[in-house]
Amino acid sequence: MDILPQLILNSLIAGSIYAILALGFNLIFSTVNFFDLSYGAVAVIGAYAVFYFSKLLGWPLFVAVPLGVLISGTIGFLLYTSVYRRLRMRRSSNTVLLVASLGVLTALQALLAIFFSSQFQTLSATSSGERLFSLFSGSITETQVIILLTAVAVLLGLAFVLKLTLFGKAVKAVGDDEEVAKIVGINTDKIIGKVFFIGSAIAGLAAILVGFDTGIEPIMGLPLLLKGVIASIVGGIGNVYGGVAGAFLLGFVENFGIWKISGEWKDAIAFAVLILFLVFRPQGIFKK
Amino acid sequence: MPIIETKHLYKHFDGVRAVDHLSVAFEKGQITSVVGPNGSGKSTLVNLLTGMIPVDGGEIVVAGSVRFTKIKSHEVKDYGITRTFQDVRLFEQMPVLDNVLVVLTERGVFASLFEKHSPYHLEKAEEVLRRVGLWGKRHELALGLSYGQRKLLEIARVLATDADTILLDEPFAGLFPEMLKVVVDICKELKVKGKTLILIEHNMDLIRELSDHIYVLDAGKLLAEGKPQSVLARRDVIEAYLGE
Amino acid sequence: MPYVIHLLIMVSIYSILALSLNLVVGFTGLVFVAAAAFFGIGAYVTAIVMTSFGFNFFLACIVGALFSALIAFAIGAVLSKFRGDYYTLASVGFNIIIYSVFLNWQTVTRGPLGIPGIPRPSIFGLSFSDNFSFLILASLLVILVFLACRFIEQSSFGRVLRAIREDEKAVSVFGYEVLYFKLATFVVAAAFSAFAGSLYASYITFIDPSTFFVNESIFILAVVILGGLASNRGAVLGAAVLVLLPEALRFVGFPPDIAAQMRQVVYGLLLVILMMYRPQGLMGEYKL
Repeated sequence: MDILPQLILNSLIAGSIYAILALGFNLIFSTVNFFDLSYGAVAVIGAYAVFYFSKLLGWPLFVAVPLGVLISGTIGFLLYTSVYRRLRMRRSSNTVLLVASLGVLTALQALLAIFFSSQFQTLSATSSGERLFSLFSGSITETQVIILLTAVAVLLGLAFVLKLTLFGKAVKAVGDDEEVAKIVGINTDKIIGKVFFIGSAIAGLAAILVGFDTGIEPIMGLPLLLKGVIASIVGGIGNVYGGVAGAFLLGFVENFGIWKISGEWKDAIAFAVLILFLVFRPQGIFKK
Repeated sequence: MPIIETKHLYKHFDGVRAVDHLSVAFEKGQITSVVGPNGSGKSTLVNLLTGMIPVDGGEIVVAGSVRFTKIKSHEVKDYGITRTFQDVRLFEQMPVLDNVLVVLTERGVFASLFEKHSPYHLEKAEEVLRRVGLWGKRHELALGLSYGQRKLLEIARVLATDADTILLDEPFAGLFPEMLKVVVDICKELKVKGKTLILIEHNMDLIRELSDHIYVLDAGKLLAEGKPQSVLARRDVIEAYLGE
Repeated sequence: MPYVIHLLIMVSIYSILALSLNLVVGFTGLVFVAAAAFFGIGAYVTAIVMTSFGFNFFLACIVGALFSALIAFAIGAVLSKFRGDYYTLASVGFNIIIYSVFLNWQTVTRGPLGIPGIPRPSIFGLSFSDNFSFLILASLLVILVFLACRFIEQSSFGRVLRAIREDEKAVSVFGYEVLYFKLATFVVAAAFSAFAGSLYASYITFIDPSTFFVNESIFILAVVILGGLASNRGAVLGAAVLVLLPEALRFVGFPPDIAAQMRQVVYGLLLVILMMYRPQGLMGEYKL
């Protein structure tokens, strides 16, 4: 059997997840200009919220999933107001912000493990009953179709908001120069708070999709974060759309990379890509 | 004989020509000033001469014989060149004394590992810190100094190096009269000692007082050069300044 | 009493790790999040040469340190190209790549099974098989590393490192080849970390990849930052506090599984709190 169509499909699915992650991450980065490492943990919290509402309380998915997305967004917003805003007001260096967010990531992942155990769980209702579609002699599950569609929807939605709304223009202004934005009368604090909410909600969505596709565990925050970061850097950090290109490149390299060697090397391959880009093309595929 | 010369030196930032095929020469033992409106390429020139940013074209000739198309910042010292910075770059979270000692000690990785500082280093540090009036503050962190003291510490650091060619990027800006006098006197002393000074400055009175020769830059190009009195009287030079 | 000795041995091991990492973070100002990688390299090399080739512990120790230094030289040459947050991210990448090697190069490392039966040290008929004598050995090594770090710190070399931390470009204009200084420090720090790895492998007598993941690197970073950047005594103090503090949780009555997670919550939160209120740590002279 020819494995190529399946590899391409897998790459596209992985790329879609990474693209959603990168969209949220880049949105936050392009506005506040520091690496928010708690992004990964915020994402997983959304997935665990869905797990809690749908699996433990038995609520229907159309309630649980939006609620999970909202919870991710809210946690992201709260982290901004309680930690990052204070540090930024004190003009702390980016390194301080990065280390603080590293602490948040560590603590939140561990808290999830305490409440929900560190076991691997799945969000999908049944483990085997999912519908399979076949496409060019490859197969794709219903969840994976939803992943592809969601990625497109998030990209279009975000592009619409950023390009065509007043809020989008304000976000761009804050990202370009926060001081100037303040002077022209933009409430930068409010804008950044909203950006954290939206970016974190997008992160939550990505983690929820992963939860339906494969499953969730508390420590997946770190890999989710790193994939989002790598995709963003490869695409061009701060360039919201560049991250999408980086995400698909990463998806393809990872999946084709493990064609010949064991799948366990996936993360190492992802980082090899990151380091190669940082050395040879630090500005990414597209400059901001 | 010129100690440093540039030949068609070229540097652009995102298509803007910051230094545009500039050929200038700095005579040994003289004070040469480089003036021009903001953005005329003065600081870029200093940064090119000290390897802080890569050269895009042209060359730099040191001591009439050593020709560079690129110069590495850590090699600058070997040609007897040192500098101050327009934005005053000190080693902030280090004591004043260490800010000076660091330019005195061994440069090699291994040599420096087996050296603390010698009595000579300490003597030299004391001498230069006393000269700028900062010896009393030697144990304070650099970041605690006032703006004027910061500039003086940078001058002290330069004095400690004993370099023959010193590039001073706006050494007088923002100084109170008494500190200003210290720096002006140091410049005169350095000239007496036979050092070569390259001065980036806006203060025209001081330029007239100190310089042997001046170059006027505008948009990265050489607009005029010559003795201060004649050059600073030229109509186009005045216009370049006023027109900024 | 045996429990106290066990804790003191762990404090010693983490003191060595913190002292070495402090050279990189405290003196050169680079937030390096892969200390566990060199910890692991030391442990694995020691375990392999002792169990497979019957090396003496002390010889294995030296082989481990040399090997770690060699890898550090290669990694350091690449890492030196990066600055600030990118340096941190790339270091996380190296940790994950090296972790992948431990996990997946099964013919050498036995992968997730780990390496059991690592012998305790012995030399000239002197055996360190009981914990008390092992503690003496570990303490000696701490003192040795401490003195070496102090020697470096107090030399002109140490002053140059601090200047590099403050302004890399400015220090180079005064004739210092910054790259060599950073690389030399990095290599030395890696060799010292490997000593800690050798001690750990021989003490626990069993190693597996899970000990050397990014979490552990974050923990070691937390130790250094808590103790105080650029302070050697701080590094040892930080190790004592952060190794002993979570032990208290055990006495409060948490089950071991939860206690392990609580440890992460503690040091995660600690990083956040330190960044917000005391970025120079307990005894530090330098703020990030």
